[in-house]
Amino acid sequence: MAYILQQLLTRSAARYPEKTAVWARGRNITYRELDRRSNQLAHLLRQYGIKKGDRVGLYFPKCVESVISMLAVVKAGAVYVPLDPQAPADRVGYIIGNCGIRALITKEDKRRGLDESTRSALEFCVMADDEPKSTNGTRTIPWSMLDEFPATHAPEVVLTETDLAYILYTSGSTGRPKGVMLSHQNALTFVEWCAATFEITSEDRLSNHAPLHFDLSVFDVYNTIEAGATVYLITEDLALFPAKLASFIETQGITVWYSVPSALTLLLLHADLNAEKLARLRLILFAGEVFPMKYLRQLADLLPHVELQNLYGPTETNVCTYYEVERERLASLEKLPIGIACENTEVFAVNDQDEIVTQPGGIGELYVRGPAVTYGYWADPEKTAKMVVPNRFQPNFEEKIYRTGDLVQLAEDGNYYFLGRRDSMIKSRGYRIELGEIESALLSHPAVREAVAIAIPDDIVSNRIVAVIAAHEGSSIKPLELQQHCATRIPRYMIPELIEFRDSLPKTSTGKVDRVQLTQESVRAANQAAREVVSQQQVSIS
Amino acid sequence: MSTVNQTPATQSSALKDQIREFIMENLAHAKGITSFTDEESLMESGVIDSLGIFRLVSFLEEELRVRVGDEEINAETLKSVNSIEQLVLSKRK
Repeated sequence: MAYILQQLLTRSAARYPEKTAVWARGRNITYRELDRRSNQLAHLLRQYGIKKGDRVGLYFPKCVESVISMLAVVKAGAVYVPLDPQAPADRVGYIIGNCGIRALITKEDKRRGLDESTRSALEFCVMADDEPKSTNGTRTIPWSMLDEFPATHAPEVVLTETDLAYILYTSGSTGRPKGVMLSHQNALTFVEWCAATFEITSEDRLSNHAPLHFDLSVFDVYNTIEAGATVYLITEDLALFPAKLASFIETQGITVWYSVPSALTLLLLHADLNAEKLARLRLILFAGEVFPMKYLRQLADLLPHVELQNLYGPTETNVCTYYEVERERLASLEKLPIGIACENTEVFAVNDQDEIVTQPGGIGELYVRGPAVTYGYWADPEKTAKMVVPNRFQPNFEEKIYRTGDLVQLAEDGNYYFLGRRDSMIKSRGYRIELGEIESALLSHPAVREAVAIAIPDDIVSNRIVAVIAAHEGSSIKPLELQQHCATRIPRYMIPELIEFRDSLPKTSTGKVDRVQLTQESVRAANQAAREVVSQQQVSIS
Repeated sequence: MSTVNQTPATQSSALKDQIREFIMENLAHAKGITSFTDEESLMESGVIDSLGIFRLVSFLEEELRVRVGDEEINAETLKSVNSIEQLVLSKRK
């Protein structure tokens, strides 16, 4: 039984040295090569001063080197921090500072995009570019340097499962992202549950649709390695084009797919999915947002031979509950359950009287207990103390439980159903978005006096974002300027599509901005606009 | 717009302007992007995302009146203003 992630690789490299481990952008790497290259890079990192527990950022678009880097950092006893290659430089710079990242594994065009102050604070960068590009500033080390280091074994490091393996940054309600700390034990609790439940074998071909800073990718990469299977990293040129993506799934013989539901919906609507072409696909996992029943039913009908599983869980616990789709119930189910706890995890709902829900019909906030639960947020003891709390329901020894902030209901069938959030966190395309982070970005513009970000429910992406602003007297700011301003601070998928200006925002009786009213108005306006589009289309057809 | 008195060169640039304007108003602005060249990759620069692709295709079909097959929706044809213009011109022959 592995207790640290790299042991999964050591085992598979011994059993399946010549098998393809990773495919990306037309290149591939065997288990032997993955093992050797990650050993070399691990030695290099140690040589350049990386010590146990240090954080190393990974900052480049997905490729074979991404997986080499992940394994190399843990082999060096350090902690990798996948950085979103599409996030604005300001946000990446903030994370690098917040996390105390000492070194990056990166590519020149990404490194160059960082602020000078961020770059100069780094101790060194390992450049994963194919050809070394000319650089100045921070110490840069070309990939070819790996050849100088031993390939047959990893550096000597003493690690236990309780050591951190990686940190994943997610949207923060107070305006800045927060780093979820995940240990080897956290990761392996999830990986082992997946291995047993989904019976991944060395014959499987897993796709990796999710970005590497998103925890769905932990399954894609580590369950592949665990089984001696092959993972196919899906990059932008495929991900954006459903027809090409569907072809890819077919030609590469993908057997297991894991993604957010909106990716599946886009495939459903814009690619020709059929059971014959996708005969080798045996399992589809989805997580991150609610899958609209109408699209799920279509998918289930189109691919009757594929097992469908709904996985649920915040980054703080990876997956904590799951539900295997029962096709015979689909027609009558109004909503898909989030299901029951994964093995080696416990969940329970706590109601308003602070009691654990035991009877069907009971509603409460979902809590998670067990080795899947994060230690908390990097350098944020306050936020950690709020969310990762002592288990008051179990007095015999100290342990922590995680409050998800999700309201759930326990049903007759023994499954939990998701009802909604307690706060203003929303999902869009599976991405976690704190409306507060968007509002912070808007408010940071000098012309903005008040700002509210609103989520408008959407059929395909769960939510779209719009904003309502009250500007300072005498300022004449345009929506586009605000959108540009946001683009320098928050990822694109968080930028409001539409910005409405008002003299002032409606308030509740306690003087706080009346979000409920604004949300109602915005949703009504959006529905009205949609109705107008439909009637225009009807006019042009008739 | 009448094409009778225009040379192919001006026809082509009017089409390009139309494409560029649609992308600017409907896709780029919502990402806070205010300029892009005709040659640059709109996907790499983040102007076009997975939803934007379909708004763009709807525009091609409804406003520019060309039928675009699923296989024609890919990283080559929709890469840039130039390649989109080429796609439309090839359909109009």
